[in-house]
Amino acid sequence: MPPAAASKLDYVPPDGGWGWAVVLGAFISIGFSYAFPKSLTVYFKEIQAYFSVSYSQIAWVSSVMLATMYAAGPIASILVNRYGSRPVVMVGGLMVSAGMILASFGTSIVHLYLCVGVIGGLGLALNLQPSLTIVGSYFLVKRPLANGLAMTGSPVVLFTLAPLNQFLFDSFGWRGSFLILGAIVMNCCVAGALMRPVNKNIKPIPKTAPPNGEVSEEKQDETKSEGCLKRFVDVSLFRHRGFLIYLIGNCVMFFGLFAPVVFLAPYARHQGIDEYSSALLLSIFAVVDMFVRPSTGFLGNTKWIRPKIQYFFSFAVLFNGVCHLLCPLAQGHAGLIVYTVFFGIAFGMLCALLFETLMDLIGAQRFSTAVGLVTIIECGPVLLGPPICGALVDSLGDYKYLFYMCGIILVGCGLFFFIMHYYNYKKLEEEKDKSASVETRTPEEEEVELKPSPGTHDEDGSGRRGLHCLRGSFGSKDSFSGVCGQRDECVDCHSCLPASAKGHGG
Amino acid sequence: MKLLWAACALLVCCWRASASTAGFIKSPLSQIKFTNDSTELHCEVIGDPIPEVQWWFVEGDEPNETFTHLFDGARDDRVLINATYVAHATSTLHLTNLTPDDSGTYECRASNDPDRNAMMKTPKIKWIRSQANVIVIEYPTVIASPSEVNNQTTAVLSCNLTDSSRPIKGSFWLLNGKLVKDSDSTASVPYTTLHLEKINYHTAGKYECVFKTDPNVTQTIEVKILPHVSAHKHSEHGNENDKIVLVCDSHGYPFPTDWTWIKKVENDFEPIINGTTAKYEIKSTPNKTSLTISDLSIESDVGDYECSGTNELGTNSDTIHLRVRSRLAALWPFLGIVAEVIILVAIIFIYEKRRKPDEINDDDDSGSAPLKSNSTTNHKDKNVRQRNSN
Repeated sequence: MPPAAASKLDYVPPDGGWGWAVVLGAFISIGFSYAFPKSLTVYFKEIQAYFSVSYSQIAWVSSVMLATMYAAGPIASILVNRYGSRPVVMVGGLMVSAGMILASFGTSIVHLYLCVGVIGGLGLALNLQPSLTIVGSYFLVKRPLANGLAMTGSPVVLFTLAPLNQFLFDSFGWRGSFLILGAIVMNCCVAGALMRPVNKNIKPIPKTAPPNGEVSEEKQDETKSEGCLKRFVDVSLFRHRGFLIYLIGNCVMFFGLFAPVVFLAPYARHQGIDEYSSALLLSIFAVVDMFVRPSTGFLGNTKWIRPKIQYFFSFAVLFNGVCHLLCPLAQGHAGLIVYTVFFGIAFGMLCALLFETLMDLIGAQRFSTAVGLVTIIECGPVLLGPPICGALVDSLGDYKYLFYMCGIILVGCGLFFFIMHYYNYKKLEEEKDKSASVETRTPEEEEVELKPSPGTHDEDGSGRRGLHCLRGSFGSKDSFSGVCGQRDECVDCHSCLPASAKGHGG
Repeated sequence: MKLLWAACALLVCCWRASASTAGFIKSPLSQIKFTNDSTELHCEVIGDPIPEVQWWFVEGDEPNETFTHLFDGARDDRVLINATYVAHATSTLHLTNLTPDDSGTYECRASNDPDRNAMMKTPKIKWIRSQANVIVIEYPTVIASPSEVNNQTTAVLSCNLTDSSRPIKGSFWLLNGKLVKDSDSTASVPYTTLHLEKINYHTAGKYECVFKTDPNVTQTIEVKILPHVSAHKHSEHGNENDKIVLVCDSHGYPFPTDWTWIKKVENDFEPIINGTTAKYEIKSTPNKTSLTISDLSIESDVGDYECSGTNELGTNSDTIHLRVRSRLAALWPFLGIVAEVIILVAIIFIYEKRRKPDEINDDDDSGSAPLKSNSTTNHKDKNVRQRNSN
């Protein structure tokens, strides 16, 4: 019997409708969160000359922004759990905007660190988490596709921001550009406005209506216990097998994930390719990435892959690693273009599935807290990865060692994921078998067996074989959970319930 | 008794054997040098106790050789001896401003015998010696033609080596110290030529023809042109009340000795002099000049600025056009975008408020999708038996 009813989803995610508008909002938010710090590098040369500082001091602006964005994850989680996604994203958008506007009046490099780095980074964190969470709450069946589409925001926004930033810089200088960027980033508020909280009203109850619209006593109990549980959620997540696999694998993986992106252009220049062609490589990378992400989402949604989506992710990590290991074999401009295309494919696949796999392991209910923990712990590898690789290149003098190192890290992580998820899937099967034998069924109950395809997954330990729904009256929580197995999300059970049973006997 | 004597003799031998005689680990090397050049002779000796090293100059042939002791400061301070006695003895003899009289044999002598300098006794252990020959020859004449190239578009540089007794192993050309491509030849002829098809700021500079005679002989030919002055950016943008730096570079040879900045305002030329106002600051180095203008104003500072560099052949200049952006230039797009954001957010919220009453009615059992048809489709996908709402 499942211990925590708190982790169950007690409504049916719409899987469409307004959900697509929410995906658009998430697209914009996620796009700004990831692309914004990277796109600011266009201004660095000018700002460096203006304030007379060294390049590494200026590069700190981007690093502080990225660090704050990752480190503020848990704060965003708490706020999302409390207030829902919409207000948090809107406040986040306003914060980034305010940060950029203040930065445009900055008189020293420390101003930039504070305004762009800290305030901007915090705002972006408040954008990233809720977007991911709300996509998870609106979609279940089509969730991989929705995630893939939302994550496409990153390359698309980067691709648009890069030339836009150059244009703004030429026309207005860096101060004017920061002011205008502050306005552009305010569009995250529009994205936030789109993130209407998912309607969980099965029967409207005129209680204090937090956006999540709890309906029944049962659920009220759940939220109460959830409130108490929230304080301990850190600990319980760390006992979650899937979460631990994800966390450990990702932390190691991030050391070697972003470095090749950062060093792609310098490597190309080192090979003797001129500056424009080197920049072209990054554009090719972004375009390939842009198309691969939704495709991966779509592939992840198919009935062959969805049940084993963790293996798909492991394959993506492995593919990345192999790409990097083979990179030093690529010679000349054409070779590098081939490498960039494959790298774009691999990277896009990985990013599209990055949060989908976490949702798959944890379930949408606890996703927000989980992703907060994951980002703050990943903060270290994300920040340290490129500088360590850079130091490696400087000390050994050749870029190929960088690619070997990153390739080995990624291949190792891919194998780790494969093995651990195989073990995890096996364990989940065992647990589900155990729970199936404990299920009680009354003669009145009709079993509606659902096909084991989209929507019926191993959320924390159970029924991949199918959902069993009960018709008839629901009494206690126990029989409810007994029906649906040990699942986090008893999604389709409600659709089986007759209207009278809804609201649980009034 | 005999045993005692034997033992004592053995002990003495052992004690003696612990002291090792001096031996060279590095000997001075023979060399050939030109007059006015300088040279070094290096000597390293090991031994226990640490040996003393001396330098001697040997003139004449056997058996009528004359030995002259060289000390630090000899020969009118042209001799410098640097010796260290740590672990082993090292000594370096520096000879500067060589003359043909410096030619001869130089001897490095070392000894660690305690009685080595005693005048009364004949030393039991001789000083060990190591010799090196130093030959000083007159610098041969290299005739370079032309001696200088001024402001030409093409030229042929040639060098002729006369009165050299040394064998010629080849020749090459250097431009500003770097080897000129394809100029390295192994022909042992005492002449060499270099064709310069296009003389521009890349190919102008100090050319040296080098003959590989060990030691090498070189001659310099300067190829000079007008300075090539270029601005970093021909169109610069500044912000109102801000400051801006205009930079001009020069390439070629020789570098300008004078830089001037002139502001062109409507057919009027106004030279800018450093230090007259706080507004302008000029910093110049031979190959770069920069003009810093503070507190830009749209009325007075917009226009063309000309930087001119002058060298011994003449003057060249370049112009930079300065534009000043108003403080408020970025404000209009900013306000425009903020307005767009506010309008969009308002539209979304108003749309939502309008739908809210409808939503509650629609929403009885199909979950949370606002549009019934969609939720129907979704449920069909899952193959669930549809229940119709009553």
